[in-house]
Amino acid sequence: MQSITDRDLGTPRPKTTRTVTVEIDHRTVEVPEGSTVMHAAAANGIAVPKLCATDSLEPFGSCRLCLVEIEGRRGYPASCTTPVEAGMKVRTQSERLADLRRGVMELYISDHPLDCLTCPANGHCELQDMAGAVGLRDVRYGYEGVHHLDAETDASNPYFAFDPSKCIVCSRCVRACEETQGTFALTVDGRGFASTIAAGMNEPFMDSECVSCGACVQACPTSTLMEKSVYAHGQPDRTVTTTCAYCGVGCSFKAEVKGTQVVRMVPNKDGQANHGHSCVKGRFAYGYASHPDRITQPLVRASIDDPWKEVSWDDAIAHAASEFKRIRDRYGRNALGGITSSRCTNEEAYLVQKLVRAGFGNNNVDTCARVCHSPTGYGLKTTLGTSAGTQAFDSVEEADVVMIIGANPTDGHPVFASQMKRRLRAGARLIIVDPRVIDLVRTPHVQADHHLQLRPGTNVAVINGLAHVIVTEGLTDDAFANERCDPDEYAEWKAFVSHEKYSPRNVERMTGVRAETLRRAARLYAKGPNSAIYYGLGVTEHSQGSTMVIGMANLAMATGNIGREGVGVSPLRGQNNVQGSCDMGSFPHELSGYRHLSDGETRRLFQQDWGVEIDPEPGLRIPNMFDAALDGSFKGMYIQGEDFVQSDPNTQHIEAAMRAMECVIVQDLFLNETAKFAHVFFPGATFLEKDGTFTNAERRIQRVRKIMPPAAGMADWEVTQAFSNAMGYPMRYAHPSEIMDEIARLTPTFRGVSFETIDRLGSVQWPCNDAMPEGTPTMHVGGFVRGKGKFVVTEYVETDERSSRRFPLLLTTGRVLAQYNVGAQTRRTPNREWHDEDILEIHPHDAEQRGIADGGLVSLASRVGDTVLKARVTERIQPGVVYTTFHHPLCGTNVVTTENSDWATNCPEYKVTAVEVAPVTRLSEWQEQYRDFTRKQEDLLRERASVRT
Amino acid sequence: MPDPDTDATRSALALKLADATLETLRDPRGALLPILHAIQEEMGCIPESVIPAVAERLNLTRAEVYGVVTFYADFRTEPLGRSVVHVCLAESCQALGSAAVADAAKAHLGVDFEGTTADGAFTLRKVYCLGNCALSPSVMIGGDVHGRVSPGAVGELIEAGRAGP
Amino acid sequence: MEVRRLVKMANDIGAFFERGGDAGGVANHIRMFWDPRMRREILVHLDETGGDGLTPIVREALQQHGHELDPGS
Repeated sequence: MQSITDRDLGTPRPKTTRTVTVEIDHRTVEVPEGSTVMHAAAANGIAVPKLCATDSLEPFGSCRLCLVEIEGRRGYPASCTTPVEAGMKVRTQSERLADLRRGVMELYISDHPLDCLTCPANGHCELQDMAGAVGLRDVRYGYEGVHHLDAETDASNPYFAFDPSKCIVCSRCVRACEETQGTFALTVDGRGFASTIAAGMNEPFMDSECVSCGACVQACPTSTLMEKSVYAHGQPDRTVTTTCAYCGVGCSFKAEVKGTQVVRMVPNKDGQANHGHSCVKGRFAYGYASHPDRITQPLVRASIDDPWKEVSWDDAIAHAASEFKRIRDRYGRNALGGITSSRCTNEEAYLVQKLVRAGFGNNNVDTCARVCHSPTGYGLKTTLGTSAGTQAFDSVEEADVVMIIGANPTDGHPVFASQMKRRLRAGARLIIVDPRVIDLVRTPHVQADHHLQLRPGTNVAVINGLAHVIVTEGLTDDAFANERCDPDEYAEWKAFVSHEKYSPRNVERMTGVRAETLRRAARLYAKGPNSAIYYGLGVTEHSQGSTMVIGMANLAMATGNIGREGVGVSPLRGQNNVQGSCDMGSFPHELSGYRHLSDGETRRLFQQDWGVEIDPEPGLRIPNMFDAALDGSFKGMYIQGEDFVQSDPNTQHIEAAMRAMECVIVQDLFLNETAKFAHVFFPGATFLEKDGTFTNAERRIQRVRKIMPPAAGMADWEVTQAFSNAMGYPMRYAHPSEIMDEIARLTPTFRGVSFETIDRLGSVQWPCNDAMPEGTPTMHVGGFVRGKGKFVVTEYVETDERSSRRFPLLLTTGRVLAQYNVGAQTRRTPNREWHDEDILEIHPHDAEQRGIADGGLVSLASRVGDTVLKARVTERIQPGVVYTTFHHPLCGTNVVTTENSDWATNCPEYKVTAVEVAPVTRLSEWQEQYRDFTRKQEDLLRERASVRT
Repeated sequence: MPDPDTDATRSALALKLADATLETLRDPRGALLPILHAIQEEMGCIPESVIPAVAERLNLTRAEVYGVVTFYADFRTEPLGRSVVHVCLAESCQALGSAAVADAAKAHLGVDFEGTTADGAFTLRKVYCLGNCALSPSVMIGGDVHGRVSPGAVGELIEAGRAGP
Repeated sequence: MEVRRLVKMANDIGAFFERGGDAGGVANHIRMFWDPRMRREILVHLDETGGDGLTPIVREALQQHGHELDPGS
C-alpha cells in the first residue's frame, strides 16, 4: 500500500526539461517529452484506471485496465506503455473503453475474495478503487470454478504478511524487489491462470533471499503484502513527514498515524535522499520507541551500587546541577565535560556543546564521530577545505567507475546501496577495496571488476600504490591538478608516489593485493571518465585513518575527479546525524562550522552572542576524558545519547574510567551499558517525540517532526536547556527553530538555513547562504573551498598492532543489515530474528588448524581482553583475518579492541586488532562479570518504584 | 561411489553442464535457457535442488531461475515416468468420450495429469491431437498410439506398456 | 594522565610528519588538538626524563616549540 497521501502518476517522470503538446480528452496540455500517455494524463488531473502501473516502477503493461483511444491508431493501446507524441489526440473515456475495463475488472474480481469490510486494505485498496471507478456491478462468471481463494497466508516475516488469496499477480512486488531494491528475491511461479507470486523457490519469505526492505509491501495495490501493524491497528488517518533516525543515508518518511499511534512508516517519494525507498530498519524497526524497557521517569542515585530513585524532572535537574557545581568548586571547571549525540537533532547537539562551553566554561565536549568519522573531518578539511563529503547521493547516477573503500553499503547504508546497484546494473564499473568479501563483490546482477582484498591496516599502501600506477603511467589530469591545486605540492606528491617503494610489486608485499589487480584497478579509476570514491569506517578506523582520507582526496584531485556530478570523495557516514553533530561544533577544538577556537574573530562572535568568555584552548577528546578520569582530573560527564561503554574500544579501560567519576549523567531511551555506571538518568525522547533537524552524509538538512508527546514529558533539548539554567547559564528557547536561527546567525555555511527554508525546499544541503540560497549539492565546483586544493604526502606507516606468535590473527569489525550500532534500538525490535548475537567469521584454513567447527563457541583474545562468541567458518574472510560485529553487549567485541588510534584524531583502530581464537565451552571471565553486573543493575532499576513510594 | 541421488552430486552435475554450455556461448547473458535445456536433457528434469547452484553460477537469484523453470511448460522439476501415457483431449477425441478415458487412466494409475506413479513407471499427461482423429478417442503409451480406446480397456493397455526399471 | 599513552599519541603524530622532517608540524598539531593538561604533562615528561620513549622528531618538536605548547606561557 502506498502512502495514504501519495498521488500516483502511474509511470516515472521522465528526466528531461523538453516538452511536447498533446490533447487529452479535448484538453491541450504540455507534458515532458518521453512521458507515457498515462503519466501525461495523470499529471494533468486525468486519472486513467490502472492496476499494474505505479510511478515508482517502469511500465509493465499487463493489467489491460489503462487502455485508451488514440486518434489515428487502431485498437486500444495501453496508456502506461505508450509514449506521448506531439499533436497526439487521446481519449481516456468512451463507452467502448468502459466496457473493456469492466470486462477486465470482472475477470479480476471473479478470483478475488469479496471480504472488503474485514480486509486490512479496506479504504486504501487500489483494486477496490478500480472496481468503483469502472462501475463494476456484476460478476457473471460466478465463483465456483478453479480459484485461489483458499491460498494460505505466509506470516513468516515479523513485519508483513503475504496473503496470496488477495493477489492479482500484477508483478508490482516482483518489480519493486528488482528495480527499487535490487534484490530479485521474488518471482512469478508458473504461468497463465496458475501463476502466483513466490519468494525464492516458493519458500516462506523469511527463508528466501528477501531482505525485508518492504518495497514490495509499498508497491502492492491490494492487501496481499501488508504490514502486520495495519492488520493490528487499522488504516492510519494522517501523515507526518519526518526523517529516519537510523543510518547516515537520512531517508525521508511519511509516518502514518492514527491519533498518536504510528501505524506504519512509508518512505517519502519526494525524499531527496531516498526517493521513496527504505530498508528494514527505517520502515519497520521503530517499535523500540514503545518498548517496555523505556525509562520515562528521571532517576538519581548516590553511587552505582545503590538502587535508583525515581524523582521529578525538577529534582533530577537540581540534583545534577548541584553535583556538577560541587565538582566544579572542588576540582575546577576543567573536571567537567559533555558528549553530544549523533542520534539527536542538530539543535540538541548544538545546545549540549553550548552548555559545555558557556555553562561549564571549558571545551571538554566531544561526540561519537570521534570513534567513526573524525578522520574524515580532518582529512577532507586539510586537502579540500571542508569537513564533509563532496557529493549528493544522486551523483552516483552519473558515475562510470565506483570505488568502494572500507564500506559495506548493502548492510550499512542499504538505501544508497540500492541506488548504487541500479547504476552498476546499468553498466558502471566497480572496484572494491576491502579485506572481506562484502556482498557487492558478487551479488545477483552485480559483480565487482576488481576486489583489492588487502590485509587489514594497509589502506595507505594501497592508495599510494594506486597513485603510483596512475602517476607513472601518465594517467593523471595535470591540467586540472595544476590549475586547481598548488603546483609545487602536486609535483612533490607525484615524486613521492612515483618512488619505487610504492610500485605494485612492493605494494603487493605490503598489502597482499596482487600487483596486476592493483594496476588494473588504478587504470580503471583513472580512465573514468567519472570516477567516484565511496568510503566508510574501513578507511577511518585505523592508526592512519586521516592519512588514508588525505590519500583518497589526493587521488581524486590528481585525476580531476572532483567538483562535478559523478565523481568525488564521499564518506558513508554511520549515524543519522553524525554529519550534523560535527557541524554543530561538537569537537573540543572547534566551534560550529569547523572553525578552530584559536580564531579570535570567531570566538568574539560567539562571545558577543552568548555573553560569556570562551576558553581559546582545545578541550579533551573522549579517550582523553577517560584517561583524565583515571588520573583524577575529570569527574563529571553529561552524556546525551551515546553508549560508549559498549561502542568504544577496550571496554575494561572504559569501565574503570566510568567508576572513577563522581557524577555521570546519562540521557537516553534505555538503561544502556553506559547508564549502568551513571548517577543521574535523564529519560530521552525518540525522534517521534520532538522537532528538529538531522543532517545526512550528503550534508542534507532535513526536518524531524514531532508525532507524539515525549514519553517522559520533555524533549532532549528542553532537558539540556533546563540543566543549563540550573547550572546558572540561562537558555530561553521556546522551540528548536529558534536554536537553528542562532546556528544560522553564527555559522557562515548555515546562514540561509531555517526551519522555514527546509519546509519550503523539502531539505537543503549546506553550504546554504547568500551565494547558494538553495544549498549546495556538489562541492568544490570551479574551485576548492580552501582556495587551492592541497596535496599532502601520505607515507605508509605500519600500525603497531601486528600479528605475533601469541596473537597470530587480525580481527576486523563491521556491521550487519538488521542491527544498528550498539543495537540499543534494533535489539528491542523483531530485527533480532535476523541477528540475535555477534558471530566471529573465520576462514576454513584457520578454523581447521584450531579445531573450530562452524557454529562452535570460540574465545577471541587480544592483549587487552578476551570474550567468547560463536564461530562461522566462511571464505568471506581471508586466511589470517577474523571478523565480527559489536551489536550485542554480551558478545563483548570491544573488550578485545585496543586503545590504538588514528594519529590525527584519536579515532580508534577498530579495524585491526591482533588476536588468537580457540575453541572453548564457556563464557569468558569478563562475560561472567558482565552478566552479574547487568543483573545487579537491572535489580537496582527494578527496585526503583519501591524506593519512590 | 557417490550416491547419484544426493543434492550435492546433482548440483555438481548441473554445474558441469552449465559450464559446458557457457563455453559454447559468446555472451553469458541469456545463458540460462540453454543451460536449463542441457540439464533437462542430461538429467531428465531440472531438480529443484540444483536451482540454487545454477543461480549462483550465473549470478542470479534462485527466485529468478525458479521463475523461468516454472514458466515454461517444457521444463520439469520431477523426472517423467519410464513410460508416458498421453490422453488426447482435442476436439475429435473429446467428442467421442476421451474425458471418460482420461478419468479411467487417472483411476488406474492413481495420479492426476502431470503426475507420476510412485514406482516411477508412468507419467500421465494430456495432449492436444495425436493426428489420429479418425480413430478417436486416442491414447499414446510409450510412443505407441492406440485408437478407439474405451474407458474399460485403457488400464490393460497401460499395463502392456509398462517398461522395466 | 598516563604518560605512556601521551608518548604513543605524540609518536603517532610524529610518524606522519617524519618524512618532511617537519617538527613544526608536530608541534602545531599538538597545539591545535591537545588539551592544555596533556601538553603540560608531555612537557614535564620531557623535562624530567629527557623525553623517554619519544621519537627524535617529537623530541625536537617539544624542545623547539615548547614555549608555544606550554599553556602557562
